Amino acid sequence: MRILLRPLHRWIWLDAARRGRKLLCFAETEADGGRHLVRAAEVTPDPLLRRLFLFHARDEQRHAELFRRRGAALLHALSAPPRSGYRADWLAPGERGLDDLRIEELEDGALLAFLHLSEKSAATDFASYRDVLQRDPPTRAVFEEVLRDEAYHMNYTLSQLVRVSAQRHRLLLWRARLSRLWKGYLRLAIALAGVIGGLILTILYFTLLVPFALLAKRVAWREPTGWLPVSSERNASLDRQY
Amino acid sequence: MKILGISAHYHDSAAALVIDGVPVAAVQEERLSRRKNDAAFPLLSIEWCLDHAGIEPEALDAVVFYERPMLKFDRILTCALRAFPRSWRAFPKAMKNSLGEKVWVRGVISSYLGVPARKVLFTEHHQSHAAAAFLTAPTRRAAILTTDGVGEWATLSIGLGARRPDGAASITLLREVRFPHSLGMLYSTFTAYLGFAVNEGEYKVMGLASYGRPTLVNEVRRLIRRTADGAFALELDYFEFHTTAQRSYSSRFIDLFGPPRSPYEPIDLQTAEGRRFADCAASVQLVLEDTLVEIARALRQETGLPDLCMGGGVALNGVANARILAESGFERLFVPPAPGDAGCALGAALYADRIHFDNPDREVPDHPFWGPAVDGSALAQLAHEDRQPCDELDDSELIERTADDLIAGRIVGWMDGALEFGPRALGHRSILAAPHTADMRDRLNRDIKYREEFRPFAPAVPIEAADRYFELPSGGARLARFMSGVFPVRPEWRTRLAAITHIDGTARLQTVERSMAPRLHALLESYGRRSGIPVLLNTSFNLAGEPIVNRAVEGYSTFRRSGIDVLVAGRTRVVKRASSAMQKEKIACSRSVAG
Repeated sequence: MRILLRPLHRWIWLDAARRGRKLLCFAETEADGGRHLVRAAEVTPDPLLRRLFLFHARDEQRHAELFRRRGAALLHALSAPPRSGYRADWLAPGERGLDDLRIEELEDGALLAFLHLSEKSAATDFASYRDVLQRDPPTRAVFEEVLRDEAYHMNYTLSQLVRVSAQRHRLLLWRARLSRLWKGYLRLAIALAGVIGGLILTILYFTLLVPFALLAKRVAWREPTGWLPVSSERNASLDRQY
Repeated sequence: MKILGISAHYHDSAAALVIDGVPVAAVQEERLSRRKNDAAFPLLSIEWCLDHAGIEPEALDAVVFYERPMLKFDRILTCALRAFPRSWRAFPKAMKNSLGEKVWVRGVISSYLGVPARKVLFTEHHQSHAAAAFLTAPTRRAAILTTDGVGEWATLSIGLGARRPDGAASITLLREVRFPHSLGMLYSTFTAYLGFAVNEGEYKVMGLASYGRPTLVNEVRRLIRRTADGAFALELDYFEFHTTAQRSYSSRFIDLFGPPRSPYEPIDLQTAEGRRFADCAASVQLVLEDTLVEIARALRQETGLPDLCMGGGVALNGVANARILAESGFERLFVPPAPGDAGCALGAALYADRIHFDNPDREVPDHPFWGPAVDGSALAQLAHEDRQPCDELDDSELIERTADDLIAGRIVGWMDGALEFGPRALGHRSILAAPHTADMRDRLNRDIKYREEFRPFAPAVPIEAADRYFELPSGGARLARFMSGVFPVRPEWRTRLAAITHIDGTARLQTVERSMAPRLHALLESYGRRSGIPVLLNTSFNLAGEPIVNRAVEGYSTFRRSGIDVLVAGRTRVVKRASSAMQKEKIACSRSVAG
């Protein structure tokens, strides 16, 4: 699969502006992930996990900074300012999966299983991107540095999972896999629903709303600027929503 | 009577509980959820407020939402229609955003809390601001000025507040300026243009303004004209915030001011481009100040009252506040500790209590500490688990040891009592440091706050000593109570207060009264005995992109991840081990992982 996707990744990472924007996006995701890990450190009752999560959070912050610097450098080097174009996030997702995580509601074992799979998935993606970036050694170096940490993160999350849930770690990993699958489905469903909803509202906008738009414009032309008096009646009741 | 106030769904949601006319709890959702500027329905805050007071939702007499959702929806829909067909992209987003949860607030509150729908009330957004400003201020009669980006329709309101001898209170809003004509939106447009996040980066524009010269004032004045009646109107051709969701300024704006700054490019003030951005910030800041001063001056002449209460997000602009105090003719200016939308939760509850239910006015304690209290023993336990050096000391010894730390150049995370309500750290969740050298400012920016070098740090000073170090006009010490004004540092002290003196020689100081923050006051005095200057650098206890810490564990995690040397929570003091020891800890952790 990885080999099959390689030409696609090569295309995605070919354009310097898109490369820059994607790295800036990764920077935000890593920073968010770092904040989630801080929260995980704050809620876990396990002192060793707390220390590990804090170290992990620092790594994520460092990754965010690496991605941000390189992304900004790429955009800065462009002769013309980039237009905001298609980023291909679904095809080259970077690290994700922590965005809809409710840290406070998860036990340590479930969180570790989730983290392990997220790190593993990110490491696989980042390795693919590194491999297609031969023509951009500085960006490649960023991915290599991040990948070294990802390997450590994968290892520690798995070993800690085995420590805190010796009997159930396989079950927790399967649950986390299913949960990731379910969240992926939800993301897709929400995106699809958003597109359908947007389409319906756009159709309504150009059909149903036209006469109201004309009326609203007419009223707006006549509307005075400057001070408008506040009628005392308007605030007479707190029961109204309007 | 038990009244819960709620603000939510835009930015900075919060809950506040008023019992028998007096606030008993108020907290922003972000401090509990740990999501910066959390706008979600504030369930955690509500839960905490009710738990703190020991009551169940059924015991509430009313739940007051801080604005009228249908009126707001009316504005959003009307603006989309007026901008037809340019608003075709924004329209579906705006509708999905509004129709999801925001217009069904009564049902949402009723179902979350299990209270009957008839108990759910609504104040207007600017009524809530006005109430938060006036009903918390120690004044009998005052003019009121509220100004922000936008509420429902109003963007700026003026009115009067009065407490009558019979105990009744009244708030009368007289006039308003309506969307899209908005001082807040003007400032936010420049915030976006300068590459900062809207509703978050306005402080940065204010900080940056001091580095520039207002050379673009004439250009900014083309964006905003004064109307014949003394109000103002924006020239809408320069803006897009009212028509699209993509950006807030138009191509014409760019023609006038040049290309916008990329958020990812640092501002280099040595370059012409960097200076252009600073000049933009200085120019919009000056126009904002001039406009507010003129409106306030007219209000003073109209009402003849000596006191002004200000609310709304624009009231966080300390430079403008100081000019209003100095130039409008008002003798006292009251800005609450949470003048923004979070404070509306408290304002809405107080408005319902005093005006809707006609309860007699009661004095509101004049402090911002309405949130959860810190537990020093929780910090001690964390420190023991991590083998961090930790002491539990009595109060006086703790103050002396902390003063010793500060004089030795250590940076102290200081957690004391109940959490502040509002965006400022006023001595209960603060990072404190010696204020004397620019090196300290750079160290804080580099190792702790990770933020732009042009942003200033604030000082805290005992109120009795404030006048010695800062040029405070009459009423200035009061304005500085909640860090709401920016005033000059006296020239003779600027080199010895280099870490808190901004490039233009000013500082956004906090005057500390013993009765409001006794431990911080004692610490300032103790530090003053050692250094000769009872002033400390006081910045909010958080890292970039994170909310201010609340519990001991959050302070501890911030302490572990940053360059803070000492952490104090209650009577517990933790000192950070040397970096070599931290490195050993990381290696030990790695071994335990491998093992």
